[in-house]
Amino acid sequence: MTSHLDRAASVTVVALGLAFAVFFVVPFVGLVTRALEEPDTWELLRASQVRQALTLSLWTSTVTVALALLAGTPVAYLLARVSFPGRSIVDALIDLPIVLPPTVAGVALLTAFGRRGIVGEPIEELTGFTFGFRTTAVIMAQLLVAAPFYIRAARSGFESVDVQQERVAYTLGASKVRTFFRITVPQASPALLAGVVLCWARAMGELGATLIFAGNFEGKTQTMPLAIISAFEGSTLGVAGAIALSLILLSTALAVLVCFRLATGRGGRQ
Amino acid sequence: MTLEFDVTSQLASFSYQAAFNADREIVVLFGHSGAGKSLTLQFVAGLLRPSTGRIAIDGACVFDSSRSLNVAPQHRRAGYVVQELALFEHMTVAENVAFGVPRGVDRRQRVRELLSFFELDGFGERRPRTLSGGQRQRVALARAIARDAPVLLLDEPFSALDDALRTSLRRELLRLRAELGLTILFVTHDLREAHFLADRIAVFDEGALLQVDAREQVFKRPSSRRVAQLTGGSNIWSGHVAEVAPGSVVVEVQGLRLRSSGSPAPVQVGQPVDVVVRPERINLHRGAPAPGEKANIFSARVVAEYAYGSTHTLHLEPTPAGPSMEVEIAARPYEVLGVATRKEFSIEIDAGDVHVIPA
Repeated sequence: MTSHLDRAASVTVVALGLAFAVFFVVPFVGLVTRALEEPDTWELLRASQVRQALTLSLWTSTVTVALALLAGTPVAYLLARVSFPGRSIVDALIDLPIVLPPTVAGVALLTAFGRRGIVGEPIEELTGFTFGFRTTAVIMAQLLVAAPFYIRAARSGFESVDVQQERVAYTLGASKVRTFFRITVPQASPALLAGVVLCWARAMGELGATLIFAGNFEGKTQTMPLAIISAFEGSTLGVAGAIALSLILLSTALAVLVCFRLATGRGGRQ
Repeated sequence: MTLEFDVTSQLASFSYQAAFNADREIVVLFGHSGAGKSLTLQFVAGLLRPSTGRIAIDGACVFDSSRSLNVAPQHRRAGYVVQELALFEHMTVAENVAFGVPRGVDRRQRVRELLSFFELDGFGERRPRTLSGGQRQRVALARAIARDAPVLLLDEPFSALDDALRTSLRRELLRLRAELGLTILFVTHDLREAHFLADRIAVFDEGALLQVDAREQVFKRPSSRRVAQLTGGSNIWSGHVAEVAPGSVVVEVQGLRLRSSGSPAPVQVGQPVDVVVRPERINLHRGAPAPGEKANIFSARVVAEYAYGSTHTLHLEPTPAGPSMEVEIAARPYEVLGVATRKEFSIEIDAGDVHVIPA
């Protein structure tokens, strides 16, 4: 009886797993085959709209990661090491953009930094500068949505570092700064790297917040995901263009994942 | 190479107080876990700030609450080795040792000297995790003294190792003290380790330093019943003073009169006292030993015995009256005396081995 039931259960589990795996793989297979069948794919990849979108996506997401590293690392370190009043609130606020729909983040940015926003309006009155609908806005949207992924990973990285080693380093004469860069960061580096990859990938894929806050202007705010949307909505690129753009994003993502695995794999074996 | 230490501290559920000096010697901080031993090291290293007091390393004051002085651990010159060693696993052995070498010193030269001093030549380019337990210990020691620290703080550094390795590392530590003239504070809860290493022993209990004295003094003349308990005194009896003579007193314990000499505290007839006799200081004889002025002689019966390989522990009941007592004898005397078959013995305890503490 029991062995019968067990065998049935095993078969069901394997079947469900296989079905899920097929569901996972088929869309990507579809995308790649369509791209290969489409006669214009290679032509479209060289179109100026595609090139502009790719360039914009690459450099805005890189700036976003740099800003997240610069401002997010101290936040992550404080959250991991120092207990201060309101720490759990800060923690929850950082999680908020992760669970929030990006469109809501876009609306929130608009109400804060838009021309009628609580910060945007006085700044425009004083300086004439507006945030909305420029590349700055793209980076702001990406930072709000993607930086929490880095902070989260960095925080758990710092938490995993052996505090005794830092204390011993102090007794060996190392300043707090030297200890941070020579003892803490090297040990947290796999987590920091993971955070960078997550943050960068999230920034590359950002759509909702960018569309609402930065708009969709070719060459200025039209990143890759926005270009894909435009292609579907009937820009000159068409569906074939959307497929070509998707292919680029897919191969970039794969390349990043492979590099990441190699890097952390080597770190783990040391 | 001196350490002066006099500190109090109020922690959440714990009040700490200790004062002692050390000079080119190994002071073993001994006590149960949570007694305040590791706390002491952290106060010296500057990793924790005491409430009040004064700490000086090599004559230089590093903490003084009356002057609001609290030198950062970076500038204290106290080498610190923790139980888990905290080796920097992402660096090589040489980089670990070099980490502590101050600027202006020829690093490569200094690292080479240290590695050779600790018999680690040829291991410089290895990662710490590829080394054996004993080698890792020596890397931690080399790193700790790399900046010419006059004071070395060791927090149960050998407790994770097997017996043979511990023995050889303890010998190494004695060599270190002898060759470099270091002052070493060594934390342990292992009585044998304390006995082997200590020039002096500081006994901690619940945040208080109960006694700090030369090793033999602490074992033979504990300052209180608690110290006697903590240092493995298994014969601790309550009694009262029966006679007081110049240089000696006679105490009575459950009907047994014992002469004691050399106990420092003055006592009066009738005063309640604690009497401590270490189990290895009690002699068994088959016949009656020659009665001496200073010896206590009485008869007793073995009621239980336990074998520990190199030693045997016997439980004795004095006849006709007296407290039950524990005796530790080596394997060979155990055989010679024939304890396995014979149970009645004459007992001899030197008056100098009967320690009397006012209760």
